[in-house]
Amino acid sequence: MILNFLTDLKKLQKFDQPLDISPYAKMMGFRLIRQDGILTTVMKYHSDLIGTPFPQALHGGTIASLMEMAAIMELVWDRDIVHIPKTVDATIDYLRSGKPVDSYARAKIFRKGRRFATLHAEAWQSDPEKPIASSMLHFQLIE
Amino acid sequence: MIPIQDIAFDKIILSIPHAHRLGLRLYEKTATGLTIEMPYNPELETFPNSGIIANGAITALLDTALGAATYAQLKSYRRIVTLDLRVDYFEKPEPYSSVIVKTRCLKKADQIIFVQGDVFSKGETKPIAHGVGVFSYAEMTASEEMSENDIQDEDPPL
Repeated sequence: MILNFLTDLKKLQKFDQPLDISPYAKMMGFRLIRQDGILTTVMKYHSDLIGTPFPQALHGGTIASLMEMAAIMELVWDRDIVHIPKTVDATIDYLRSGKPVDSYARAKIFRKGRRFATLHAEAWQSDPEKPIASSMLHFQLIE
Repeated sequence: MIPIQDIAFDKIILSIPHAHRLGLRLYEKTATGLTIEMPYNPELETFPNSGIIANGAITALLDTALGAATYAQLKSYRRIVTLDLRVDYFEKPEPYSSVIVKTRCLKKADQIIFVQGDVFSKGETKPIAHGVGVFSYAEMTASEEMSENDIQDEDPPL
C-alpha cells in the first residue's frame, strides 16, 4: 500500500503529502515533501511529541523515528522495490534539544548493495546547518 | 534534594506527553532495573491491520525506558541528556502483542550513565530488539533545585 502511494507520488515533480497511509506515521504527523528534486520528511509539531515539558523539548524517540522514516523514504524512492526495507540498526546522536516546532529530516545513501544499505540521516528545525540529531542506519533489502 | 525512591515512577512516565501518548506504563521496578510496557494500540501499527507495532514506537519506548533507568540510578533530581542511543532491531514484534522493555544499568560513572534495555513481545522470552544508551547527568544549580510539589508537575528531561 505504501509502495502504491509512492508510485503515484513519483509521477509528481513537487508535492507535500501526509504519510497517513501508515497509522503510526499519521499519529506522528509525518509528511513527505519533494521540492527541487530533494525528498524531505517532516514531523509537524503537536503537543504529543513533547518529552520534556519545562523547558519544552521534543521527545528524543520522536526525532529518532523521524530520521528512520526519512531513511526509508530515501531508500524506497529511487528503487523499484516490492518490500519496505527492514531496519537492522540505528545509532542516534542527539546534538541539540528539539524545540516545539516542525522538524525536518533528510537521509543520504552511503552504500547500497544488493542485500544491505547504509544511510546517514540528519534532523533539523529552523536551520539545516544546525542539526538537532543525526543517525546512522543499516537496512536489509528484501528482494 | 528529593530522594529518588520517593518519586512515583509511573507518575513521571505518565507526565511525559509523548510517553503518555504511547501509553507507556511502569510494569516493575527492582534494584537492578525497570520494566516498562507499551500496550498494543492500532495507532502504533506501521501498516493498517498488521497488528505490528512500528519500529519508531519501539525506539521511543527504549529512549524513555533508558532515560527512566538512568533517572533511577540517581539519588536526587538531575537534568538528564541523551548523548547517544543505539538500537538493534532483531525481529518484528508478535502481532497484536504489547511490547515490554527490561532495562539494566551497565555503569554509573562521573557525569555519565551507561544503560541497556532488552525489548520483548509480552510473554515471550526471546528479545525482539536491544538498545544501549549513554546519558549525562549534571549537578543542578540552587535555582534549578525544585520542590517536591514541582516534581509532581514537571518531568525529568528524558
